[in-house]
Amino acid sequence: MATDLQGLGLGLASRFATNPIVQKYKLAKPAEKFAYISTKKGFEFAQKLMANKAKKKQQANGDIKALPAPPPLFDLSLSDEQQMIRDSVKAYAESNIRPLALAADEDAKLPENLLLESQDLGLNYFAIPEALGGAGQLSPMTNALVAEDLAWGDFSLAYAILSSSSVVNTISRWGNKQQQELWLPKFCTQATDANDVFSAAIAVQEPQPLFNSNELTTKAKKNKKGYVINGIKSFIPLAGKANLYLVAAKFKGKNQIFIVPANTKGLKFKSSPAMGLRSAEIGTLKLDKVQVNKNALLGADNPPSKTFHYGTFVDSGNLAWCAMAIGCCQAALDYLIPYVNERFAFGEPISHRQSVAFMIADMKIEIESMRLLVWKAASRFERSEKFHRDAFLAHQLCIEKSMEIGTNAVQLLGGHGFTKEHPAERWYRDLRILAVINGGLQL
Amino acid sequence: MKVLVAVKRVIDYNVKVRVKPDNSDVDLNNVKMAMNPFCEIAVEEAVRLKEKGVATEIVVVSIGPKVAQEQIRTSLALGADRGILIETDEKLESLTVAKLLKAVVEKEQPQLVVLGKQSIDSDNNQTGQMLGALTGLPQGTFASEVVVDGDKVNVTREVDAGLRTVGLSLPAIVTTDLRLNEPRYASLPNIMKAKRKPLEVVSPADLGVEIKSTQTVVKVTPPAERSAGIKVADVAELVEKLKNEAKVL
Repeated sequence: MATDLQGLGLGLASRFATNPIVQKYKLAKPAEKFAYISTKKGFEFAQKLMANKAKKKQQANGDIKALPAPPPLFDLSLSDEQQMIRDSVKAYAESNIRPLALAADEDAKLPENLLLESQDLGLNYFAIPEALGGAGQLSPMTNALVAEDLAWGDFSLAYAILSSSSVVNTISRWGNKQQQELWLPKFCTQATDANDVFSAAIAVQEPQPLFNSNELTTKAKKNKKGYVINGIKSFIPLAGKANLYLVAAKFKGKNQIFIVPANTKGLKFKSSPAMGLRSAEIGTLKLDKVQVNKNALLGADNPPSKTFHYGTFVDSGNLAWCAMAIGCCQAALDYLIPYVNERFAFGEPISHRQSVAFMIADMKIEIESMRLLVWKAASRFERSEKFHRDAFLAHQLCIEKSMEIGTNAVQLLGGHGFTKEHPAERWYRDLRILAVINGGLQL
Repeated sequence: MKVLVAVKRVIDYNVKVRVKPDNSDVDLNNVKMAMNPFCEIAVEEAVRLKEKGVATEIVVVSIGPKVAQEQIRTSLALGADRGILIETDEKLESLTVAKLLKAVVEKEQPQLVVLGKQSIDSDNNQTGQMLGALTGLPQGTFASEVVVDGDKVNVTREVDAGLRTVGLSLPAIVTTDLRLNEPRYASLPNIMKAKRKPLEVVSPADLGVEIKSTQTVVKVTPPAERSAGIKVADVAELVEKLKNEAKVL
């Protein structure tokens, strides 16, 4: 209401200031000043009016409370904890992930102890409710930060590490009591052997042209024992390796998620090494008359406030892709800046050439824009506000720009960029995923 | 057993340090700060002692401006139990720091005090030794291994000739060297828990210590720029240059 009043005042006053008579008699400056003062006063008055009204209302209720301080108008600073998390994850990524990336990509194999050692960060039980042994922090914003910094170390290995936490986040957010009690504590146990790490993966993507995550061909049907699922899923990280899968399937005309343990009969995994994200051990999964029990439907019998929302699930997945892409792009930029300053051609650093300097500057602008859009969407999600549009915008920008940054990273390194001597070619291949997953660019 | 660990806020080791244009000091504007790496090793050692069941409580103390709380919080996230910040904006020299720490030692009565052997900003390598002298406690500096054995602690020190192990009776002071351990990364849940751990803020006056400066910084200059190396044609030229140019032979 206060803003409406101020708007009205501003409209009237500026109409007055731009009036030809006022202009003619050189009254414009004083008039503008008048407009400013009057609207400011009007705004203050309106605020007082509202405060009084609120006060009266509270007095009528019998308890008087101070008005809450207004939130800062535009503040993107992270909390102390978030900053500490960033520092910790980035340091981890630098010394424990980056050095493994090259060999892991060549071998298309997850380093043996990666999941075991990354338990130290506590990513998996971060979101799990305290009652079940976790830290009780379900924070999309923090997740975006973690995804970015891990992927700064390496996109593909970050994807593998985050695979389990994305499942944990999903079950923590939407799973019913029984599902949470059954599955979440398994992620809290600190394994001491690489084979004992409990891992999980999400299976949404399907191998049809122009795959649309809303038009699933994987179908579930109810029967006496529970549900039967049929279909093919592609692009699953840790395929055949993970202990648990969240499979998206159409059930009674609605998109749902089913919790499928790896030892269920009828699951057939096939590895499908790809152009990028090779060390995440991506594969396809064929579900042939897979029988799961009655409590496999995620969030079944939940109260309406906790009902599973497939759109939100897909959007948050896209945000995770975006955040990882940002981390990878940032890694490329951090690699390129010293390179272009140190690489000499024609007697000077190549960064002295505008064609090079402009590309670097554009990259920085684009990465910052991607980050801002992702943070906006994630923070709206965190506050339980609608964020579909924000996630969509972020996703579109990240699809386009991460491909561009990937290819420019190779270009700026020249012939070197094409070789395996530098990580740019790997980043280029990894970043290509954004445009093909979840329908990608064409959808 | 109570362990007291002292941590210092310094310029992050990754940052390229710049000197102020008037050569009065190092430029700290918009520079990333972090915990001194040797202090991180000290915190890690204390946490490991606690995990072994030797230590029961880890108290972390830092001296500096209000923002030094960040380094205490980091220590708490790594596993320390509570923190003390001696808040002051004054410039501190090693002796003042040692006097302040002595006051904390008297108040807290720890069995073991662990400090970094030096801070990477001023590289003084004095505080631990001064604290030893002021408190009269035995000290084991440059530790590469710390083993608590009953009411004694065996500290293996890195000395020029190799390793020397000293047995100190507790309470004692230990300063850490680089190879003592490799600090862990703070896990996300522990970072969140750190917020709930107690952090007490006191002033130097509360501890009865007056901050006095006995030293003045005359000038701070960056190290001389290194010039590019040269290639020599053969061994003879190398020997000739070492003899006549470098004058090392």
